[in-house]
Amino acid sequence: MNDTKLYIQNLFAVKKIAIGQNRQQLFEDFIKKEDNEQIVKTIIEQQNYLMDKWELKNRVADIIAQQLTIPNATVGKLYKFKIDFEQLNLTDLIHVECFGLEEMGLAFNKNESIIEGIPNQNGELSFKLLFKIINEAEDSIPNEKIIPIVINADPKTLWKDIPSNRAAPFWKKDDIIASGKLGDKKIVVASKRGRSHENVGSFRDDDFSFKLIEEIGWSAIAVADGAGSYPLSREGSRLACIAVIDYFEKHLEKETLEDFEHKIFEQQKSNGEDLLNEIKVLSKQILYKAVLFSHQQIKNLAEQIEVSSPELFNNPKAKNALDYFHTTLIFTLFKKFDFGYVVMTFGVGDCPIAIVNKEQTETTLLNWLDVGEFGGGTRFVTQADIFHSQEHPMASRFNFKIMADFSYLFLMSDGIYDPKFVVEANLEKHERWLEFLKDLQGENEENVKVDFSYENKEIADQLSTWMDFWSPGNHDDRTLAIVF
Amino acid sequence: MRRLPIYFLLDTSGSMNGEPIEALNNALSGMINNLRSDAQAAETLWISIITFDREVKEIVPLTALETFQLPEISCPESGPTFTGKALEVLYDKVTKEIRKGSPTQKGDWKPLLFVFTDGKPNDLQSYAEMIPKIKSLNFGAIVGCIAGNKDIATKLLELTNDVVHLDTADSSTLKQFFKWVSDTIEQGNKSMGTTDNVSLPPPPSEVHIVI
Repeated sequence: MNDTKLYIQNLFAVKKIAIGQNRQQLFEDFIKKEDNEQIVKTIIEQQNYLMDKWELKNRVADIIAQQLTIPNATVGKLYKFKIDFEQLNLTDLIHVECFGLEEMGLAFNKNESIIEGIPNQNGELSFKLLFKIINEAEDSIPNEKIIPIVINADPKTLWKDIPSNRAAPFWKKDDIIASGKLGDKKIVVASKRGRSHENVGSFRDDDFSFKLIEEIGWSAIAVADGAGSYPLSREGSRLACIAVIDYFEKHLEKETLEDFEHKIFEQQKSNGEDLLNEIKVLSKQILYKAVLFSHQQIKNLAEQIEVSSPELFNNPKAKNALDYFHTTLIFTLFKKFDFGYVVMTFGVGDCPIAIVNKEQTETTLLNWLDVGEFGGGTRFVTQADIFHSQEHPMASRFNFKIMADFSYLFLMSDGIYDPKFVVEANLEKHERWLEFLKDLQGENEENVKVDFSYENKEIADQLSTWMDFWSPGNHDDRTLAIVF
Repeated sequence: MRRLPIYFLLDTSGSMNGEPIEALNNALSGMINNLRSDAQAAETLWISIITFDREVKEIVPLTALETFQLPEISCPESGPTFTGKALEVLYDKVTKEIRKGSPTQKGDWKPLLFVFTDGKPNDLQSYAEMIPKIKSLNFGAIVGCIAGNKDIATKLLELTNDVVHLDTADSSTLKQFFKWVSDTIEQGNKSMGTTDNVSLPPPPSEVHIVI
């Protein structure tokens, strides 16, 4: 049966036109008539044309609806993304063009289907993909598909620098630097408010203090980092440092110290193991009193302030007034003798103390760090439990070392240690300290150099400039004290 | 770099269908946009979104905000609220994804969890079983949020003390709520004691603290 007959039969059936037995011959003649054959052919062609047209429209609508996600970009960062048309089942696309990318600093490379460039504006933006598909007429208007693109701002431009409120209680200067002589050694220190504080107008929580106590010949250096989540910690850290220096200067019993030094001399001669152990115990006792003094000083202040300014104590999280002043504390007490240097240290919290020997062949980490399971989790000198913890005995927080000489002694807050050493294990690696030294001496992206020669008068400013280094995600206060 | 992981557990049960889910989508997108322009968040935030109704779906696995893309969240026309099952999935994800500090690994900031729901759990037994497990994960904060019926608060209070209530899940209330969520997130990366939790900022007037 030919197409014409079948078509007409179906048409009549759909239209419920019956062809009686007696009209069969008439029907046969009817379909054989040339013009009718032509009519059917035209109808089928038109129908096919309609169907094809619909199919095209349908396909275009599918393409427009198809989710096409492209990775986020970042202002100032080279962006390159290939739209994989094959993987997206979009191989029927022809004449693909992009419209609206130029304004963002991007361009579409047609030959390679790559979007590339360096974005210059951020936001939840979009551009148009103009396309035609196979079988669409050459002169037809191109179809439009909107493609969203997220462009992140350059993180560096997001940081605000809001001044801290000078009228606030316990206001402290954002950045401080100091340098000076400690006997035959020199010291340089810088402490800077972190970007995270600048961003919200809060205060520097870090602090430091140092002094050569002429009368006894010992030098004390303290660094403390107030807890970011407690509102008066900036004063806690300041007082913790001051109190340590104060203790060694004004409250240390002379006889105890003389006896201690005498035993050190004796031990140097005899090399006795027992005596050395006794000295280590004595050393802990001396430093312990300074720790306790520091804790007590902050406690006293907290109690006073609670009475005089109760409005400051409104944090439901704090269990007592002392909590408001939570701070970590590290300090060292050292002195030069004719046989070398005696260096004693204490540490609670996550700030390291390390010493590099004269030949720079060995670095010793002098304290262990209170690093919790989670970031920011640490311990404070203001916590009564550190004094009688079974798990982390107080005695383990002290160190005693005799060295012929040393090249560098570092005390730093976690604002330096986090970006420069990343994890605790690296603090034990001498090569990481050598890298750190090279970094200080100018081997860094910014080419900022700290010149450690004794005649350099700009050293504190240089250290302060060096401390502005950029490290994504590391925007805490930074404090670094270097004895050299 | 330390990550601050944030988990969102969002109720997409039948009762959220219609305006509430639309409002949720808009508010979430507004919050993400907001966080993108926060210097601290832009560098440290990692976000995971898990939805729950009859099924629990991880619609975005833990992803850095820098590369994060928010999909459209949809919900079925009807169906139960399997909160317990959702907590099970969450527990699994958190134990696998969170990096704890060690001498050789930088620990994450304490993760934060936001649970948004408008109905009582339909799987009460599983819900009760999961509560101690979720608590053991040591989140920096678990914030429960109820939209609409306040009676369901008691169930959420078993999970966390920090429960807030919204009268309705309309666009402007949800916007306020998620603004407050981003303020809370900004508290999440500060040094604190080893056992401390994150302090919540005071909520806006549309968000009521449930005691």
